[in-house]
Amino acid sequence: MVFIQRLDIMAFDKIKPPISLSILVLFGLILLLLQLMSSATQESSELSAMYSWLLLVNALGSVVLLGLVGANIYSLARQLKKREAGSRLTTRMVSLFVVLALAPAAIVFYFSMQFLHQGIDSWFNVEIDRAMEDALELSQASLDQRMRWHLRQTQQLTAKLVESSETLATLEMENLRELSGASEMTLFSRQGRIIASSSINPGDILPSLPDEHTWLQLRQNAEYVALAPVREDELMIRVIVTVKGKEPQYLQALYPVPVRIADLADSVEFAFVRYQEMHFLRHSLKLSFSLALSLVLLMSLLAAIWVAFISIRNIVAPVKALVKGTQAVASGHYDQELPVMAQDDLGFLVESFNEMTHRIARASDETRMAGIEVENQRAYLETILANLTAGVISFDAEHKIRTANQAAYRIFHIHVNQFVGRTLLELVQNYAELAEPLKSIQRLLEQADDIWQQRIAFLGSNGRQELLCRGTPLFSQEGLRVGAVVVFDDVTDLIQAQKNAAWGEVARRLAHEIKNPLTPIQLSAERLQHKLADKLTAVDAEMLQRSTTTIVQQVEAMKEMVDDFSEYAKPSKKQTVDIDLPALVQEVLALYALKSGVKFKADYDTGLLVIKGDPVSIRQVLHNLIKNALEAIDAKGLIEISLHRVQKNNTDFIEIALYDDGPGIKDEQIEQIFEPYVTTKVKGTGLGLAIVKKIIEEHGGAIWVDTSRKVGAGFIIQLPACNF
Amino acid sequence: MHASVSNKPSFCHALLYCCLVWLLPALSYADTFGVEVKNAEIATQGNSYVLSADMDYRLSARAKEALQNGVPLYWDIHIKTLQHRGYLWDKTLVNISVRYRIQYHALLNMYRVRNEGSRELYNFSTLSAALDSMSTLRNFRVLDKALYESGERYAVGIKVTLDRDALPLPLRPIAYTNPQWYLSSDWTLWPLTK
Repeated sequence: MVFIQRLDIMAFDKIKPPISLSILVLFGLILLLLQLMSSATQESSELSAMYSWLLLVNALGSVVLLGLVGANIYSLARQLKKREAGSRLTTRMVSLFVVLALAPAAIVFYFSMQFLHQGIDSWFNVEIDRAMEDALELSQASLDQRMRWHLRQTQQLTAKLVESSETLATLEMENLRELSGASEMTLFSRQGRIIASSSINPGDILPSLPDEHTWLQLRQNAEYVALAPVREDELMIRVIVTVKGKEPQYLQALYPVPVRIADLADSVEFAFVRYQEMHFLRHSLKLSFSLALSLVLLMSLLAAIWVAFISIRNIVAPVKALVKGTQAVASGHYDQELPVMAQDDLGFLVESFNEMTHRIARASDETRMAGIEVENQRAYLETILANLTAGVISFDAEHKIRTANQAAYRIFHIHVNQFVGRTLLELVQNYAELAEPLKSIQRLLEQADDIWQQRIAFLGSNGRQELLCRGTPLFSQEGLRVGAVVVFDDVTDLIQAQKNAAWGEVARRLAHEIKNPLTPIQLSAERLQHKLADKLTAVDAEMLQRSTTTIVQQVEAMKEMVDDFSEYAKPSKKQTVDIDLPALVQEVLALYALKSGVKFKADYDTGLLVIKGDPVSIRQVLHNLIKNALEAIDAKGLIEISLHRVQKNNTDFIEIALYDDGPGIKDEQIEQIFEPYVTTKVKGTGLGLAIVKKIIEEHGGAIWVDTSRKVGAGFIIQLPACNF
Repeated sequence: MHASVSNKPSFCHALLYCCLVWLLPALSYADTFGVEVKNAEIATQGNSYVLSADMDYRLSARAKEALQNGVPLYWDIHIKTLQHRGYLWDKTLVNISVRYRIQYHALLNMYRVRNEGSRELYNFSTLSAALDSMSTLRNFRVLDKALYESGERYAVGIKVTLDRDALPLPLRPIAYTNPQWYLSSDWTLWPLTK
């Protein structure tokens, strides 16, 4: 998209002439127009005829420029109103430019106007006015004098024509003309008929005739004298006088004005007229010059402002693009690519901006990727943590629980919701049975400054549990304590397995080390008796008999004991078959049914209650437990057996609960009751419950003392159910 | 034959109205100055149609003042013969103009009128006499009889203009804006009939 836009701009640029060229052309045009106008103001210029048109064209140009500037100002005002990017900068630059351009221009304009007006005014003053008028009057006076002189001269000539006949007059005319120095002399009748005529130029047949106006004056004054411009630059003095006689006649004489005088008079007149004209045109001249000057100023200023608008817009365009780009980047769009218009500072800025956005985009991508990576790692770790058998709890600086994995919930049997965000001490209030381990961990958290490890034993709802806790305080980079991680394993089973293994070893050794010498001892004792019985006295023989019997009996007992041990030590799960528990229980109970004084109560769930296991071992478990119960109640009382199907950790278990109403088990004994040689009874090896526990555990089950029962003793066995 | 029928294209009308609107303030002076073509007569003389007309020059105060200060005034008497064409603008058959210059001569205290075509000079001691000399047009040939085609309509127009572009330069802008300098007459057309 960005690429396409750039292509468009490039294509447009190709079609459009460079802006600088247009501006140059425009300025050239304006200068030409102004120059033409200025030339046209010179009176002699050929352009003078075009002055009005030039003025009009210039005025139109000004109007067009004014329109352009107006449109620009309007558009800028709209942009300002919309708070568009770059509009304020443009306004500031344009205002600055206008002020900077206007101030000197106004000053120059003001002083130019002053000089212009003063200059024009200085051409005219009273002295020159008077001098001009005097010069003109002098010329007129000089010509007047000449005219009067010629009038007198002509009047004197008339004396010779008085009463002369027309023929005589014709003859005389040539003489008179030559005498007077006139260029033409004509005698008219009163009616205007030419009587006689003579001219210096023989080619002139028809004399110059006076016009109606002259006739009128002549009839009024009887004489006429005036200057007559014959041609453009030739003056004549026309004198007409009356020739007195019976029939009044008129004599007209044309005297040429000497060339020098005519020239001088012409020159004076020309100067006077020129001066007069200038004087008259003074205000028009001022106005005209002021108009031209104003037009020049207006046009230059408008053109300058317009060009300023264009160039400022060009300058601001990258800034505008940058502002827009920055806004876009600020709002999270990093894919900004601005076109680089020019290779100047702004172009460099735009390039830098592009590079920056690229980097930001890259960095943001990397951050996102890193975030995803971290998230993946976290999920991975969480999966691992969740699937750890060890419980992991992390604490913050106030020892509040931040996270805990599934194993932690499993070990403590506390629901997730009640775990996170609370301190261990708060949990203690709700879970009194966990008070001991929780308080211990809390104490260790508060005290330990280094990695610590502690074994904590407590009696949970599943019986005695032993935890191996390992704590690591966490420190920030500044060395402040920010929390801790506690990892704990439920090592109950492990410790039990260790104990069992130890006992197994003991049993094996006993079997090996003790049982072996027993047979020779027994044989030796029997041999002694056999050999010595005959040789001894009856008393001695009887004593020997007794001793030997004792030895043999004791050895037998020892053998039995050692067998028990080896029974305990060896794996009981020999062959696994599906065992229908209710049937097995029923079978075992049947053996004890004959016992008087003892009442058995059995309670089974409906449905299949089948496990996989060694039937001999399971039977032994039942025997051991029932025997144990019978001993506890001293063969009088009630023994309850129930079979239930339960579900724990998504696995089906079959729970065997066996209760008696005997004296029960003392609290201090509960913890060790399943260990070998722990017994409350006077006889027995103390291996019964140990073997039970061993068998159950070998079958993947669990056994514990039901501490919730207040009357008598209760054992709960859970064995994995067999699902079909 | 000298019926004063004004027959102008509508464009001219529009232009005229525009001018009128622009010059509304000057309307009050309209009667006091300006050139008016008063009488016109088309006659036959030999094998030509000839035009005779009288014009009345009434100068405004500004124009008189300029003239008396030595500014020459140039007048053009335009005469044209048109052939009407229904489908197009009128065809101009003859287009002639006569140019006069009138100037005041301070030395002689005279008004000098010069026909720019024939270079003839006339001097007058009064302005009205000088203006009168320009105001009569006699027997001016406007069309050859041979060119007259029956069935076609012809018209002869006359107009007198003050050439403002011939005024001294400083006066020109004023002459174009000040109604006192709007002295030219409008076209006056007469039908030319056999």
